[in-house]
Amino acid sequence: MSYRLFNGLVAIAISSIFFAVPAQAYGKTITVTDTLNRKIELPAKPERILLGFYFEDFYAIGGSNAFDKVVAISKSTWHDWRLSQWNTYIKVNPEIAKLIDVGEVDSGTFSIEKAIASKPDVAILAAWQYNALGDVVTKLEAAGIPVVVADYNAQTVEKHVISTLMIGKILGTEQRAKKLADEYAAAVEDVMRRVMHLGGDKPRVYVELGNKGADEYGNSYREGMWGGVIGLAGGNNIAVGQAGQWSPLNPEYVLTSDPEVIFIAGSYWESRDKAVLMGFGVEPETTQSRLSTFLGRPGWSNLSAVKSQQVHALYHGGARTLYDYAFLQYIGKALYPEAFADIDPEETHRRFYETYLPVSAEGVFMTRLKSSP
Amino acid sequence: MTSIAYRKMARQRLGWLITGVTLLLLSILIDLSTGPALLNIYDVFSTFFSPEKMSDPMVYVIVHNIRLPMTMMAIVVGASLGAAGALMQTILGNPLASPYTLGFSAAAGFGAAVTILFGLELPYFPELSVPFFAFIAASTACALVYGVAQLKGVTAEVMVLSGIATLFLFQSLQSLAQYMASPEVLQEIVFWLFGSMLKANWFSVSVGSSIFLFSVLVLTKDCWKLTALRLGDDRALSLGVNVQRLRLKVFAVVSLLTAGAVAFVGTIGFIGLVAPHIARMLVGEDHRLLLPFSSITGAVLMVAASIISKVISPGSIVPIGIVTAVVGVPFLFGLILTNKRGG
Repeated sequence: MSYRLFNGLVAIAISSIFFAVPAQAYGKTITVTDTLNRKIELPAKPERILLGFYFEDFYAIGGSNAFDKVVAISKSTWHDWRLSQWNTYIKVNPEIAKLIDVGEVDSGTFSIEKAIASKPDVAILAAWQYNALGDVVTKLEAAGIPVVVADYNAQTVEKHVISTLMIGKILGTEQRAKKLADEYAAAVEDVMRRVMHLGGDKPRVYVELGNKGADEYGNSYREGMWGGVIGLAGGNNIAVGQAGQWSPLNPEYVLTSDPEVIFIAGSYWESRDKAVLMGFGVEPETTQSRLSTFLGRPGWSNLSAVKSQQVHALYHGGARTLYDYAFLQYIGKALYPEAFADIDPEETHRRFYETYLPVSAEGVFMTRLKSSP
Repeated sequence: MTSIAYRKMARQRLGWLITGVTLLLLSILIDLSTGPALLNIYDVFSTFFSPEKMSDPMVYVIVHNIRLPMTMMAIVVGASLGAAGALMQTILGNPLASPYTLGFSAAAGFGAAVTILFGLELPYFPELSVPFFAFIAASTACALVYGVAQLKGVTAEVMVLSGIATLFLFQSLQSLAQYMASPEVLQEIVFWLFGSMLKANWFSVSVGSSIFLFSVLVLTKDCWKLTALRLGDDRALSLGVNVQRLRLKVFAVVSLLTAGAVAFVGTIGFIGLVAPHIARMLVGEDHRLLLPFSSITGAVLMVAASIISKVISPGSIVPIGIVTAVVGVPFLFGLILTNKRGG
């Protein structure tokens, strides 16, 4: 970069600090409704976006060029939390790695200065980030940066739809967003319709996060996370009614509850020899062999789920996304194979990536433990 | 003291000891019979005395593979922390001392947090990674305090001061590890720090009990010296006790006991503080009685906490570290209020 150009940029940067006026003061604006039911005014065609979370959903809604408009992200929520996913996206869009990192809200590294200095026209934050930031949001807004809140973590069709339509409006891809939202709502409704009329007792389901491996019982989920999805799919989650939203169950309780279907949530945990590895670039054999160690737990050979080979693994990063209905279908099909005979959840998942995302879903995202040879 | 009064006192103390052992056995029975499977006591016993007659193999698995290791670990941890607390209070001459005072368990927590944070794994024995590094960190904290004491003189004051400094150091490092962790990992660290019997297994039970037995053997001869130390350094010296050597030796044993107890099941507070007080109120200062009774009290408190942690929410196990204080505090208050000696 030449000195003149550099000086020019500095001059512009400095002057813009003094003459900064809310973008909506000149030019056209739009109003969006976010998941907190707030009406937010922002520039009609924001060119600089700060994206806190929901990177895949953002990609799906905005299309393959969606990230051209992103100037800053909270990097660790992607890079640290979903490393294999990050690596996959970096391959198709290396620019993502160069975006400004505003830090992470939960661990307290979020930098309000970096956020403001990235001069976004709008900041899209997850509800949990918005809540954790508290007063800091006011500072962003005082600096003329409209903040809108998306929420796929809520795991409701309503918030999924609002979030999707909102991001679509911001990116000017309303039709695509509408299509995504409609498909999502229809798919969830379809699953619920299929399980609604089924009589008889709901199958007992046990779900566990497989990050600790088989030696130690990992967290189970009551209503949140996979717990909610199991409820929707017509399962009787044995963790419901127990203390601790996200905590391990008593191994004895798992044995006496005799689950008929078991789901272990896997992800890409680095340097963990025993965790159930899943996600992008993971070989099916790896997932299978890690998953099979769970059968060696005391008493598990007597569980109905193990006897009938109903032990499954789900990709932990797939929950609470725009395509999480693929997992809903998978759980539904595991519980009620006949009611979902015409549904291929893995195909749903693969097709979503093919249709809406710039990368393909290569790896293991949902699988059933094969019987040992 | 007349010999009649002495004999009466001895009888009374022996009575307490018998009561303590009975209570311990009783709580073990209750603990083994408590759980979401709602097994009846007869079935629980059958798994021990006539396992071949059991119709349901699950009952055997539940009692022997799930309940028994947890109960045994509760006994080992409670006994270790109870003894460690009593020893600590004696060598530091401070009623507020416990295995926590000198930062051993904060160090163990730091070792565990770092292991979880960076996913450190031992070759061949990955399941021992967290206990191993917790143990290493606790030993480091011990060496630190030991070193300072060696340089500056082995007095209670020096040890308490350098110990508290170590405590704060490792607490900060522990916080740093938590700060750096992602939510999933953070949750795992926090859960470890809560202390949970879910991590108990036969290996941890055997390591913990070996350490406990070793400590008992090492200290048996020193009981009267410890009793003498309670009279103050000068008097103990005049009675021919090498106070410095005793203090260092006991200190090393305490760090071993604490590390052995917390490395596997996480930081469990309060037992090490309260068990010795209860024991002292009931059986007095004679360490021949105080140490065993402190261990028994610790074990009873731990097993009781284990029962309660299962009863609160049958399907999950509320981390025992949360429960110990809730169980111990009312008991301690009761003793303070009813103690005729006035504390």
